[in-house]
Amino acid sequence: MIKKKKLPEATIPTSSMADIAFLLLIFFLVATVIDVDSGIGMTLPEYVEDVETVEVPKDRMAALLINENGDVLLDGQPISLFQIKQTIKPRIVSKIELPSNKKLIVSIKTDRKTVYNAYIQALDQVKEAFFEVRDEYGNSKYGQKFDDLDEEQQKDVKEAIPIIISIAEPEKIGKG
Amino acid sequence: MKFEKKRASTKQEIPTASMPDIIFMLLLFFMVTTTLREVEVLVNYSLPEAEAIEKIENKRLISYVWVGNDGRIQINDSIVKLDDVQTIMYSKRQALPNVIVSLRIDKNTDMGLVTDIQQELRKAYCLRINYSANIKI
Repeated sequence: MIKKKKLPEATIPTSSMADIAFLLLIFFLVATVIDVDSGIGMTLPEYVEDVETVEVPKDRMAALLINENGDVLLDGQPISLFQIKQTIKPRIVSKIELPSNKKLIVSIKTDRKTVYNAYIQALDQVKEAFFEVRDEYGNSKYGQKFDDLDEEQQKDVKEAIPIIISIAEPEKIGKG
Repeated sequence: MKFEKKRASTKQEIPTASMPDIIFMLLLFFMVTTTLREVEVLVNYSLPEAEAIEKIENKRLISYVWVGNDGRIQINDSIVKLDDVQTIMYSKRQALPNVIVSLRIDKNTDMGLVTDIQQELRKAYCLRINYSANIKI
């Protein structure tokens, strides 16, 4: 009688599997960058060859001027960069009930030598003023902030408070 | 009297058989959620800080324009001249009609250059832009 030799169990050792997976995991953790793309969104106007000028009533406009030293003029009055939001907010609020062709236009004009950071700070203030007014309007009408409203309500708020920001071309004088 | 230590009859081991599965799950999560950086940024820049920040929902639509602290402009993988911005961006727009241009501009750049780039973008019909900025804390 031939005794059959008992074969050792044929298994793949899986104990190192976790280590291999860990190594892969660490590679992906190190090699990837989770960079968030956040910033201030804008829509540029279409390019036209000859610009036709449209007269806008003065009370509809909020003209911001930023010079190369970072000084800000709002409708001819010098104000500090951080006052922009507080000054513009009541003007937006006062125009909520008006039809869409009478809403506030904020115009931002810079010098060619103005530092980009100053421009972004001013734009940020203006945007924030608009956002806060939207939030307050949403709160009073629907009891929720703008972001929490549903699509239809958001559309309504957007219609009441459109964000109109015009970027004027800088003065050519300071070119160099 | 002989003392004997009482031992529980159950096995004192943590089952590790499912460990690879758990790790693989983590791995898959990271592989799916992250995007590998495709381009090498050749310019030095530090972004401005802002509060009224919006996040761009769709990452596929974004195309970047970098402007370094020395005023050099980078699109894709190379430094480009201001005159070439329009042509490059126009071809990008044709490939992706609703492209969002993310402007990653150094905070000490002159506005003159920024406006020149914006004019080029307008000519290329890339009208949706985003001034990249970090959140102010």
